[in-house]
Amino acid sequence: MDAKRHSAVDEPLVQRQGFPAVPAAGNQLNGHKPRMMETEDFRDASERILRAINTVIDGKSEAAKLALTVLLAQGHLLVEDVPGVGKTLLAKTLARTIDCSVSRIQFTPDLLPSDVTGVSIYNQSSRLFEFRPGAVFANIVIGDEINRASAKTQSALLECMEEHQVTVDGQSYRLDEPFMVVATQNPIEMEGTYPLPEAQRDRFMARISMGYPDKESEIEMLETHQAVSPLARVVSVVTADDVAAMIATVQQVYVSPSIKEYTVAIGRASRDSARLRLGASPRSLLQLLRAAKATAALDGRDFVLPDDVIAVAEPVLAHRIILDRKAASSGDTPQSVIRGIISGIPVSQDVVAGGRQRDQLRRSG
Amino acid sequence: MTATSHQRALSGDTARLQPVRGQVPPGRRERGAGAYPWAMSGAIALAVIGASLSLNGVLRGWAWLLPVITVVMTVALTLALLRALRAQPLLVTLGGLVSLVLILVFTFFRQQSFAGFLPTADTMSQLRRLIRRAGDTVVSESAPVAPNIGIVLVTCACLGLVVVLMDALAVPLGMPVTSGIGLLAILVVPATIKPLSVGLLGFLATAAGYLLILAFSQWYAPDSRVQSGATGNSGHLRRTAVTGIIALATALVLPLAIPGFDHGTFPQGSRLNPWGSSNGLNPMITLGNSLRNPSGEGRITYATSSSRPVYLRSVTIDRFEGETWAPDDRSFARLVGPDNITTPYEVQGEVIRELTSIDTGQFTSPYLPTPFAPEAVTGLSGRWTWDPSTLTIQAENTTSRNQQYIVFSSIPRLTVQSLARATEQPRDIPAEFSQIPNNLPDSIRQTANNVAGSGSPFAKALAIQRYLRSAEFTYSLQAPIQNGYDGNGISVLADFLDRKSGYCVHFSSAMAVMARLQGIPSRIAIGYAPGRLTGDTMALAGQGSFPEFEVDARDAHAWPELYFEGLGWVAFEPTPSRGVVPDYASEASTPSGISSNIQEDDLLAVPDPAPSAAPPVPVPAGGQAAQGASNGILGVLYGSAVVLFVALLLASPRLVRAGIRARRLAPGVSSRTPGRSAKGAALAWAELKDLAKDYGFRTTPSETPRLFSTRLRHSKAIGEPGGLDDDGHEAVIALTGDFERQEFGRPGDAGTAPTAERIAAVRSSLKGNARLLVRLRADWLPPSVMSRWGSLVSWPFRMVGRGAVSIGRALSRTWRRVIRSVHWRSWQQ
Repeated sequence: MDAKRHSAVDEPLVQRQGFPAVPAAGNQLNGHKPRMMETEDFRDASERILRAINTVIDGKSEAAKLALTVLLAQGHLLVEDVPGVGKTLLAKTLARTIDCSVSRIQFTPDLLPSDVTGVSIYNQSSRLFEFRPGAVFANIVIGDEINRASAKTQSALLECMEEHQVTVDGQSYRLDEPFMVVATQNPIEMEGTYPLPEAQRDRFMARISMGYPDKESEIEMLETHQAVSPLARVVSVVTADDVAAMIATVQQVYVSPSIKEYTVAIGRASRDSARLRLGASPRSLLQLLRAAKATAALDGRDFVLPDDVIAVAEPVLAHRIILDRKAASSGDTPQSVIRGIISGIPVSQDVVAGGRQRDQLRRSG
Repeated sequence: MTATSHQRALSGDTARLQPVRGQVPPGRRERGAGAYPWAMSGAIALAVIGASLSLNGVLRGWAWLLPVITVVMTVALTLALLRALRAQPLLVTLGGLVSLVLILVFTFFRQQSFAGFLPTADTMSQLRRLIRRAGDTVVSESAPVAPNIGIVLVTCACLGLVVVLMDALAVPLGMPVTSGIGLLAILVVPATIKPLSVGLLGFLATAAGYLLILAFSQWYAPDSRVQSGATGNSGHLRRTAVTGIIALATALVLPLAIPGFDHGTFPQGSRLNPWGSSNGLNPMITLGNSLRNPSGEGRITYATSSSRPVYLRSVTIDRFEGETWAPDDRSFARLVGPDNITTPYEVQGEVIRELTSIDTGQFTSPYLPTPFAPEAVTGLSGRWTWDPSTLTIQAENTTSRNQQYIVFSSIPRLTVQSLARATEQPRDIPAEFSQIPNNLPDSIRQTANNVAGSGSPFAKALAIQRYLRSAEFTYSLQAPIQNGYDGNGISVLADFLDRKSGYCVHFSSAMAVMARLQGIPSRIAIGYAPGRLTGDTMALAGQGSFPEFEVDARDAHAWPELYFEGLGWVAFEPTPSRGVVPDYASEASTPSGISSNIQEDDLLAVPDPAPSAAPPVPVPAGGQAAQGASNGILGVLYGSAVVLFVALLLASPRLVRAGIRARRLAPGVSSRTPGRSAKGAALAWAELKDLAKDYGFRTTPSETPRLFSTRLRHSKAIGEPGGLDDDGHEAVIALTGDFERQEFGRPGDAGTAPTAERIAAVRSSLKGNARLLVRLRADWLPPSVMSRWGSLVSWPFRMVGRGAVSIGRALSRTWRRVIRSVHWRSWQQ
């Protein structure tokens, strides 16, 4: 990635010849006012998605809900866990429940950036360079074992994630909306891999680890997954259009000033914490709030509660902060530190203080 | 999403947040270390000063309190300061001792010291002198002793040592409970010496201080497991209650089983009193207490053949020396067997013989109350002795308790004329009855000379009596206490003549001393004024039946007896509105010149010292007489005011709580001003939180409203969902939803809701599920109100503590900087 490509970002988008038709609905999101979704429809749609995912992956409703939250908050998801707990399955199922384009990239050390973004090929017959879009041109991109790819390839993907566009040969190509990258990472086999640096982990809205299923779920899984792949039975329950509308709805969720203060207080506390070497970045707070909005919407509300922020704080913040060496050696985990920080922040002062002081505040302000 | 899935999600949050709450928040430990030494030292100082309050009565007056407070506070502050600077524990204790020495030198030996506080050789010699003086006081005087400098020095030193000891026990050794030994050591002194034991004020102040020590040592416990609050279990309360009940029962029952602890309950009256109820060592001192005690103990009944009721006399005081007057022992002169008593002096003229039958009942004293002057006493049990010169009768191996006896007594037929004729110098009388105290202030001598004038001894006596009964003097049981001259002794007498207000002890000693100054031998008789008719009659052997009188502690009295040659000892009554003025000593009869013996027709006026008893005496405002009729109404008024006040005080947390609730839930609140319609939800939420707090449901500031409501609904406090408490649960959900919408939702999209009904539903659910104690506490001492008051009350202390901590930190920083610069210099050289 050189300077030229970056400067091209602001240029008008050019549709190259031979560029595959993108779904019309997805493109509308940027230009036109998006269709909003009623609360009832929103709840229906989200419940359908979650139910569909839960039929495939047993006992992981939390992870499924978080994945949907990230999708609706227009973020990207990093799934990190040992092999064989259903990381890829989760990503695939989510993609399959939505009627949208899905592509899967299996990252390997010899994967080139152009494999991800696409490449211009000289067309002999038309005597023109034709852009052949890469795997990233899809609504949901599954990046398997992202840490196996070289740093260069990772960067190519990460640029797409941030900018929602691809720049090849000075030309920028807008990606479809909704656009979500679900990357998986295997923390066990780290040899010969390129683990994502902090700066790049920051691009992912949330990191979840699947964890092992409980006993009942595992038994059930053994029964149901014997014969056929459960994915085969999954049919899409919503359209990409619906998802775009849901995203628009999430964007309209109201955030009260006290919630903003609360969010900022969490961020500042994490930067002041003696147990952390690196606190939460402003971008992470922005993503935290977006995820909280999605959570609120999934909960059927049009305003954010502190509970929403708390609910997503761990998956959103844990992979961005770096523990102090002392804290790490004393057995703290990023999760526990975040929990400690949250338990030290008063939800909102005037609520606790009670009636009279509140009255005065209102009158004076 | 349905409600159930909310619940699940939120309970998941609860579970995730739970382990964190157990951890100590990082800020807390640090703050505790800062305030701990100050709080602890403050509590110890408070407890010690509180305990020292009970020394009033061992030491007379309050003058000693200021040095005590100075010393205790200085030592405590030093300890706290050293501890705040994180000095070694041993250094802290040593520093406390050094500061004790310095402040003692500064307070007591400023003249004999170097630079005002450094002890020198002079200090040591002065110290020896003061300690000897204190020793003399302890040996020679009975309580309350005058607070001379020696005694105060010893008191201050002891209290300062107690502070250091308690601090060492409570803080570095970590035995705050054991540190109570120091307080016990202080309390033992008044408990054994004072007639009324420790006294309520001292006891309460000590208890409060001790509880504070225990509380602080728990709040700031270095081991967080000891800290309360994390576990609010009910077992604690139950154990505490059971322990308290057992202790109380023991305190009530045990004294009954142990002889000697014979009346009253702790803390009053449970002292070891070898003579039982009404007498301490010195009747002069207990007299005031008896008069002030409204219960009227020690009832004595008597019937007499005398034409008027008699004064009962148990003991006399004839040596007016030293700080405190006490009855003389004179055991060397006592004769055994009071069935034949003879006087060493001659009585000329006609003698009236009387017969008095006395039943002492529960009255317990080593002295026997008899009318004057006894010639024979019959019917006594036990071994009794009598003193020829004072005619007092004292028990050797028994007490006056439950004695029924008959006294044959004789008095000379006294008239104004016979008294007026008695102008000869007294001859047959020991010199000690005429001895003038050597430390007599000039003011008394002058007053005596001015008042007595010149004339016969009897005229002088009458003049003194007239002066003391004049309108200048008022009878008051309280004035001497308020002005610090309660008790007796020459210094007290000077105060009394200055203030002109006191009771019989003061009047009688004033007259006795002034009489001696005029050359009339005198002594003070102590016993009982005539008392009241009971309405019964008592048959006296061979004399017919006579009306029965009763006296009790309220009639305790002191009066002067003056000696006139040829007539013997004659009683006077200088105390206004008390007792009966004998006819010979009455003003009205003096100028008339009519021979008036003790008159039959005066008898009726006698029974009670009512206003009519002494018409010539102007009724003093504060006197007993004035209280008569108006007393009833005033008493009722005061009583009802006190009852009302106490009731209000008891109910006030409840009233305040109810007021807050009403204000929050008033329907007008939300509709009064447009645009604030949603405020009702927030107020209702505040009410819900307070309600939960009242019923013992704790909350933390970092808890979200939803988490709070979920926890509340899953707690035992509000009961199981479904069934009776369903309303409560629904109300909590509704209140939470409204509040969330109002607090975090889009402005202006909240409707009005029936908050009052919802709060009522929650309240009834909470009430229904709470145990009795919790319910009572929520009603009468709601924690939400109490904690607010508590923080209000503790605000100044917090401020002072914070200021002191920052000063201490600044000092230590400066100190460190100085040390560092010194090191730097020395290193450079």
